[in-house]
Amino acid sequence: MDYPADSALLARLLAGEEKAFRELVATYQGAMRAVAFAIVGSRNADEVVQDAWLAVVRNLKGFQGRSSLKTWLLTITANTAKTRLKHNRREVLLDDLPGPHGTVGEKRFADDGHWLREPFAWHQDTPEALLTEEELRECLEKTLTSLSELQGSVLLLRERQGLELEEICNLLQISLSNVRVLLHRARLKVFATLEHFEETGQC
Amino acid sequence: MLSCKELVANSSDLLDSQLSLRQRLAVQMHLAMCYRCRRFIKQMRLSQRVLRALPDAAIPELEELAARLAEEVRTRR
Repeated sequence: MDYPADSALLARLLAGEEKAFRELVATYQGAMRAVAFAIVGSRNADEVVQDAWLAVVRNLKGFQGRSSLKTWLLTITANTAKTRLKHNRREVLLDDLPGPHGTVGEKRFADDGHWLREPFAWHQDTPEALLTEEELRECLEKTLTSLSELQGSVLLLRERQGLELEEICNLLQISLSNVRVLLHRARLKVFATLEHFEETGQC
Repeated sequence: MLSCKELVANSSDLLDSQLSLRQRLAVQMHLAMCYRCRRFIKQMRLSQRVLRALPDAAIPELEELAARLAEEVRTRR
């Protein structure tokens, strides 16, 4: 097996060790949920994740370690979600819902493309320092919830789960250019929220 | 010459290493001369790190789910 950390965990999982399953769920459920969310939407995501876990358990013995455990789990989740959708797969929704603090859009630039209102210099330069403000955490959560299901999932899979763009394309069956658009729009809204908070001290 | 607006439009592709060599050079040249855009990119990178640093949402019923899955594996052996 090419993934030594996985193979140690896998042995414990196959032995039915409860603690190993707690680790597995705690580590990967967030990413699985994001994949389910992107494909079936918020209403059915939790059910898909539950079904995916059962599929994981059923197939655990057959897991060959040709991919990482994470890739395997996410593939199972995506397949479970797609089965749920059957033939009525939604169009890829590139909907760009307005964020609570807007984005870095047209209005920030002059006609010649120069900054009209330049980026505000933030007071803090580490995530830890920024996040000491409880209110900013809540404010960010609000922005993240305001994103469309697909946009939010793509952002989460990339920024929090560290998936490559190509993996996201494959799992969600959307084109690379769509992934790039979704990601960019989501990031600008997050940026706008942080900037707004740094500038005004409130959400 | 790339404008600030174009630089912002290319910023995610810069962060994800999706730019062609030619685009990358144009972006680097712009950044060398424009402190506003340097600040923008620096703060874009910082917001990526902020997202990563956000605490995970608690998983409700983690214990129960883990127990159920472990049980399922044991009965399957």
